[in-house]
Amino acid sequence: MAKLVIHQEKITDAKALAAICPFGAIQEKDGKISISAACRMCRMCVRKGPKGAIEYVEGQKKAQIDKTKWRGITVYVDHVDGVIHPVTYELLGKAKELAAKIKQPVYALFIGSGITHKAEELLHYGADKVYTCDKPQLEYFKIEAYTSVFAEFIKKIKPAAILVGATPVGRQLAPRVAARFGTGLTADCTILDIKENTDLVQIRPAFGGNIMAEILTPNTRPQMATVRYKIMDAPKWNDTVTGTIEALPISDDKLKSHIEVLGVTKKKKEQTIDGADVIVVAGRGVKKRTDLKMLEELADLLGGQTAATRPLVEAGWMDPKKQIGLSGRTVRPKLIITCGVSGSVQFVAGMNHADTIFAINSDPKASIFKTANYAVKADLYDVIPKLIEKIKTGGKVL
Amino acid sequence: MKPYKQITEEDLKNLAKIIDRERILWKKEINEEYSHDELSAGQHYPDIVVRVTSAEEVSKILAYANKNNIPVTPRGAGTGLVGAAVAVEQGIMIDTTLMNHFLELDEQNLTLTVEPGVLLMELAEYVEKRGYFYPPDPGEKSATIGGNISTNAGGMRAVKFGVTRDYIRGLEVVLADGTIMTLGGKTVKNSSGYALKDLIVGSEGTLAIITKAILRLLPLPKKNVSLLVPFPTLEQAIRAVPPIIKSKAIPTAIEFMEKEVIMDAEKYLGRKFPDNQADAYLLLRFDGSTTDEIASYYDSVAQICLKQGAIDLLIADTDERAESIWKARGAFLEAIKSSTTAMDEVDVVVPRSNINDLVEYIHNLQKQTGTRIKCFGHAGDGNLHAYILKDNMTDEQWKNALSVTMGKMYQKARTLKGSVSGEHGIGYAKKEYLKQSMPAEALQIMQGIKKAFDPHNILNPCKVCQ
Amino acid sequence: MKILVCIKQVPGTNKVEVDEKTGVLKRNGADSKMNPYDLYALETGLRLKEKYGGTVSVITMGPPQAKTVLYEAFSMGADDGALITDRKFGGADVLATSRTLSQGIKKFGKFDIILCGLQTTDGDTAQVGPEVAEMLDVPNVCNVQKIERVEKDGIVVDMDMPHDIETVKASFPCLLTVQKDIYQPRLPSYLRKKETMKKDIDIYTFSDMQDQDEMKYGLNGSPTNVQRIFPPVSDKVQEYLEGTSDELAAKIYGTLKQKKFIAG
Repeated sequence: MAKLVIHQEKITDAKALAAICPFGAIQEKDGKISISAACRMCRMCVRKGPKGAIEYVEGQKKAQIDKTKWRGITVYVDHVDGVIHPVTYELLGKAKELAAKIKQPVYALFIGSGITHKAEELLHYGADKVYTCDKPQLEYFKIEAYTSVFAEFIKKIKPAAILVGATPVGRQLAPRVAARFGTGLTADCTILDIKENTDLVQIRPAFGGNIMAEILTPNTRPQMATVRYKIMDAPKWNDTVTGTIEALPISDDKLKSHIEVLGVTKKKKEQTIDGADVIVVAGRGVKKRTDLKMLEELADLLGGQTAATRPLVEAGWMDPKKQIGLSGRTVRPKLIITCGVSGSVQFVAGMNHADTIFAINSDPKASIFKTANYAVKADLYDVIPKLIEKIKTGGKVL
Repeated sequence: MKPYKQITEEDLKNLAKIIDRERILWKKEINEEYSHDELSAGQHYPDIVVRVTSAEEVSKILAYANKNNIPVTPRGAGTGLVGAAVAVEQGIMIDTTLMNHFLELDEQNLTLTVEPGVLLMELAEYVEKRGYFYPPDPGEKSATIGGNISTNAGGMRAVKFGVTRDYIRGLEVVLADGTIMTLGGKTVKNSSGYALKDLIVGSEGTLAIITKAILRLLPLPKKNVSLLVPFPTLEQAIRAVPPIIKSKAIPTAIEFMEKEVIMDAEKYLGRKFPDNQADAYLLLRFDGSTTDEIASYYDSVAQICLKQGAIDLLIADTDERAESIWKARGAFLEAIKSSTTAMDEVDVVVPRSNINDLVEYIHNLQKQTGTRIKCFGHAGDGNLHAYILKDNMTDEQWKNALSVTMGKMYQKARTLKGSVSGEHGIGYAKKEYLKQSMPAEALQIMQGIKKAFDPHNILNPCKVCQ
Repeated sequence: MKILVCIKQVPGTNKVEVDEKTGVLKRNGADSKMNPYDLYALETGLRLKEKYGGTVSVITMGPPQAKTVLYEAFSMGADDGALITDRKFGGADVLATSRTLSQGIKKFGKFDIILCGLQTTDGDTAQVGPEVAEMLDVPNVCNVQKIERVEKDGIVVDMDMPHDIETVKASFPCLLTVQKDIYQPRLPSYLRKKETMKKDIDIYTFSDMQDQDEMKYGLNGSPTNVQRIFPPVSDKVQEYLEGTSDELAAKIYGTLKQKKFIAG
């Protein structure tokens, strides 16, 4: 077993050495060093400490796997009742790019009930082969049954890498599969690359996005990664298809489940602004209450919510629960578009952690512009109807 | 008293010679928010708003106003609750929010010199980043320090650390005739004549306009732990306060809250409070260097609370836990506001030994008058915030209900040896009650002081003692 | 009903930085706390116990000082706890952590329901729950946003899916990961804290594991390797846009599309 060996005689400054450990696992007592169970084997002490003071000793070597026996990049097809989630296409795009580098095929794994006729679509996005498992027992997502199918697929096809969308389904399915094969799974990758030896280079944020980590899975296969929606770019829909569709056989006893779906209810549209990804905010630049309709339309088109600044809430134009600011709600959406908001400190404190901030205001000196990523000097009554029109005609919105 | 001069285009021109026209708001350029503060009912627009950037500008404007008999109302962020920053006589409004610079951090003397427009939240961030602490902690974090000084704002930490006046070492002020004057300084002690600086603090802009303040800082406590203490009744909760204060472990804050108000906050914030087992709670906060050190303080307090009938003590020792309580506490005002059609507030303060009587009285008053009253407040310093709610009343009924309930509350506060305002000030809204509660002679002295500072009565007229 | 809640000690703040020169992780302060997401799992366990009876146990894996989160759980109402700690577990990734945890759970006892938080604030992977379920060979339901009821042989819960809420019944034993805000977590009780501060906990080391293959734990048992860490590149821009309303609408549209708020 790999371990750290301490050579006390090579330590000049024990306190300084102890301070190197980011996990506080090195203890110093009377000039002597010891390592506690807090050690995460990051080996920072080996690299940053005095030369030779702490030595990393490899244990017995693990048998190396034969990577050439694992071929192809697989994308798990995320869908609801056969309607394919667009993250799937984005992953197919990435898979194609990676597969081209190592000259291997791209597979798609499509599990469900009554889905076979939808598989063709995946070929148009560049899958070389789509494996379908179409069974009535697979109508709803049931973790054990889906894991079994996935495992059958892996045993049969032996893909080098598998990409799964970080959706509510992918996020529970991928770890179960990874655990079954004792392989590595890297969550929420933002960048993916591949080496010639088919090692997947996975980069992901950690500590709430405060740091990035580059991760390899060097000695197990398949390598698995999940990727969030809207991170990768979807490829163009291709008119001609070259790939094929193949059914994956599975025996019924493998589809048993200890989970029973009792009912499915449509989710109500998110009503609170706290958890909304997209927020369109009305400020005092909105002249009439009825004009809020326009902002609601924009918010609807972007799949978001409307909110307001304090004066509008006080005027009774919007529910106090939709007020952003120190005395209202604090929000952290991916996108916020403020319309006719001047940007009081009070307001800004409630929204300045949004990922992307558009501010539309006709006053070039509006203080909201200091906070905005995109300061749009315009009358909201001119620009918003045009933006709405463009979205409506320019492309469908997810 | 001769009537004030009506402002004309001519005045605008003259003022534009003193400060950039860009920083002057005139007639239609004046936003609606300048016509009121956070709570006052009526709307009064100033004729002109000047957004000043220096003491010299303030000086020139005041000299001009003094000569021409134009009333001047100073205003910070407009977060007051008694109409002090509302231009009831129109005239010039001096907006100090652009004077928002940190001028000097003196780490030898532990002082920070700031302009009046610095916001409380900016101030806290500035000093805490550098390992210091400005103790006064009023709930409204988007208020300016100038406004805080003008009302002698208190806040939750008053129990242990006192109020704004205790942290003002020196002030630069502009007098009504335009004279710029420095009062106090960086010295810790001062025994040199009348304490004019202390007189300015809490004078609500009626004596002079503050253009600079030297604040006293303390080293920042590294950790804090809050204790939420459920009691079967409010009476038991408040009875626990005097013995807590007598004990050696002084909490930085002692707040009380009732289930009803907590439920309003839950509704307003759309999130649950971490406890619901009791009708009344005390909320205590302790500062110290480590969590263990703090735990050693609150042990004795825990024994006191349990002896007084506390059901338990709940420990909020992480940011998330503290936030789940304090976020609700911070939303009380807005939450109550959103639970009714209109409201007015009473900010009385009584000796802390008497707060129980006052709370009980208000509870009964509610039953007596049929008017909904919600209260919460600083149990540790005897300062109670009671909100009278309009609900479905007609304007006429509301007016009556207000004058009856307010009159009774202030009357009760008087018999309990209290004062009209603990921390919100008198402004325009509460001056009648101040008159009723003070000996006529004391009021006369106040008026005399006002006259000595501002012979032509141009500074924030119709406020406080006028 | 026997309920187990998996908890973890995490840094008090995740405001960490990477020293750009050395690539060393800079942690501000040595403070630690219970993973905030685990508080929801623990609260769920306690509510189930209050309503249906039974016991709530807690288990954690980490350095010896991680036992403080067990005591914190006791002060919130947990009945007993176990700490899994050994230098041999150091350097574990998701797989090795899940393996150690599942081995520890086997040692600790048999449970009807195992509860986990959605994710941790330091790793953010949200994978340990399902991996533990796989290793224990029990069904799991993730993203549980509501407990409907407990039946004789299973529990009925609402699972939050992209467009729907699925009401599912999981038979015992099962593992659930709960969402934030399923319940507002209670605060630790002073009285409980005093009562439980000397409570015994079980401590499991490598020798207590059923699977004695050293190659399956810690760094050796971790298929993933962190090659390097680096600070994220900030893509925050500050652009000032002027022009005709047509130009501006086009520009906003283009940016929204590029940032994938609009498809196509």
